[in-house]
Amino acid sequence: MDTPLAYYLANLAVYFLIYCMLTMGLNISFGMTGILDFAYITFMAVGAYVAGVVALGPATLDSQMTYILGLNWPFPLPLIAGGVAAGLFGALVGLLAMRRLRSDYLAIVLVATWSISWNLASNFTGLFNGTTGLLNVPQPLATNFNADPNSYVYVFIPIAAICVVLFFVVAYRIERSPFGRALRAIRSDPDVAAAFGKRTMRLRLQAMMMGCMYAGLAGALTILYIGAMNPSAWAIVETVIVFSALLVGGRGNVFGAILGALLVRIVIIEGTGLLPQVPNHPELLGALRNIAIGVLIIIVMYFRPQGVLPERRRRYELKPRRAQRVREAARDSA
Amino acid sequence: MQLFFLSVGFGLVTASVVAIASVGLTLQFGVTNYVNFAYGDFLTLGAYLTWTLNSAFGWNFWLALIAGSFGVGVAALIISQVVLEPFVRKGGPLLIILVVTFGLSLILANTILAVWGADYKQYNVPLENPISIGPLLLTADQLGIIALSIAVMVAIHLVLTRTKLGKAMRAMSDDKNLASVSGIPARQVTALVWLLSGVLAGLGGGVLALNVATFDSSIGVTFLFVIFAAVILGGIGKPYGAMLGALIIGMAVELSSVWIPSQYKLDVAFVLLVLVLLTRPQGLMSVLGKA
Repeated sequence: MDTPLAYYLANLAVYFLIYCMLTMGLNISFGMTGILDFAYITFMAVGAYVAGVVALGPATLDSQMTYILGLNWPFPLPLIAGGVAAGLFGALVGLLAMRRLRSDYLAIVLVATWSISWNLASNFTGLFNGTTGLLNVPQPLATNFNADPNSYVYVFIPIAAICVVLFFVVAYRIERSPFGRALRAIRSDPDVAAAFGKRTMRLRLQAMMMGCMYAGLAGALTILYIGAMNPSAWAIVETVIVFSALLVGGRGNVFGAILGALLVRIVIIEGTGLLPQVPNHPELLGALRNIAIGVLIIIVMYFRPQGVLPERRRRYELKPRRAQRVREAARDSA
Repeated sequence: MQLFFLSVGFGLVTASVVAIASVGLTLQFGVTNYVNFAYGDFLTLGAYLTWTLNSAFGWNFWLALIAGSFGVGVAALIISQVVLEPFVRKGGPLLIILVVTFGLSLILANTILAVWGADYKQYNVPLENPISIGPLLLTADQLGIIALSIAVMVAIHLVLTRTKLGKAMRAMSDDKNLASVSGIPARQVTALVWLLSGVLAGLGGGVLALNVATFDSSIGVTFLFVIFAAVILGGIGKPYGAMLGALIIGMAVELSSVWIPSQYKLDVAFVLLVLVLLTRPQGLMSVLGKA
């Protein structure tokens, strides 16, 4: 358990679990409902920052940070606060953006939401300590288990795993519920769904809120594990990468979301991280990796737009007696 | 009062920059009917191509700007024909093409990063003393930006009203199918519009970089939603609307710094964008019909 390789793999497992939360959330808002949430990573950041300021004590001169709140709440309250805050923020943005707007207008508003949030978090240092971001956020349950920095990962894996399993079940149930069916109907044609009596605005808002809550939980888990969060961690690129994971894995399918997290977060990002750096060009490798991810999106969208694991197609058939009645009624009216 | 007039001058310059860039975006939207989320990176590409010609090869800035912009136009043409048009011909939901342009933005931004690196760049232009025109104080470069913008707007107006291409573009913007059955070569017009959109993005990116003095590879993306705000304010797909939108947004952004800290000035564009979307999502110019 103490070898560097075991530590590396355990660390990787945590990142994978957190990424699963991200792709599963985007699967609800984008995959199932078709909301082009180009601000997605913002909600991860909101979850992370809120969890951070809830877990940290009040900002003092010693900590050399300025931030709001500082409540010193024990685990799991920061995690819950992060998820709830991101969900509420998502609902607020959705309320502004979803009224009467076609999907590209909505996407524009969401990109703008990311831009303004990022600008605000970077420049307004009183909020979340500006570009330096939050540091030294206490790791949950670290003292309870006497964990040192090297062994803490084994305390955190169960925390992340419980979270992911719980919310996997939620996502799985949503996918197979009447709610999920209504979301897919809205994605195919909002007007038809509305004509069948679905409250499209409300359902889309709920989907947006759910998706953002997942993102917020992913962010909260990130800051509780790493202990830090700053604006460089949620550049707009990160949203594209989460999208690529879901698109490759299979949008509309929660298993596709998990597979996408594995393929993109672990195989591509971790895999290219193992390549040697090009001397004198520190940014070259990351740039090439991102180009590859962009190319991957375009290739997948052209040749296999449903992703590796496509959405489950459900067939709807009437029960025999009901079918008989429908046929008779059709004959009578004809 | 002096600060106010200074801001009015900056507002005119910013409006000029936004006008060039937003006309390019809105023309392309009018004809193709989808938003190009990689447009911000077209601006960045324009800024960098101009920088290479200007600083590395020692060309005059304005000459470098024009050559660099044609470079962006050619790049836009190639990208649209190789990547985007196949998706359009294949059909499918709007969602897919939007995600594709979003992915394209990732590719372009990182290609620029890989080629030009992450450090700040600056054009090789002589420092000048501002000239006072009435109550306004402007440098020769800023006057050049305003003049270029006016020239571009007049040229676009002439293209739209006096040429067959412009008529074809307006027809396609009104009704694509009707335009096709009337014998307008839709594919050629689409290709030319992408070229034009790229050239305008390149010009916009170059003058934007000149206006902010130092820039890095994030310059286009941060400016993208200011352009979106202008485009939507004027009514998306309407070039004259975009010109009006650009004037309003440009002035609002610069004048706001009289009252609020200037690092938030671009956020004013966002506030205006949200207000327009909530009250008048079809834009200000929708009554006047499509251009």
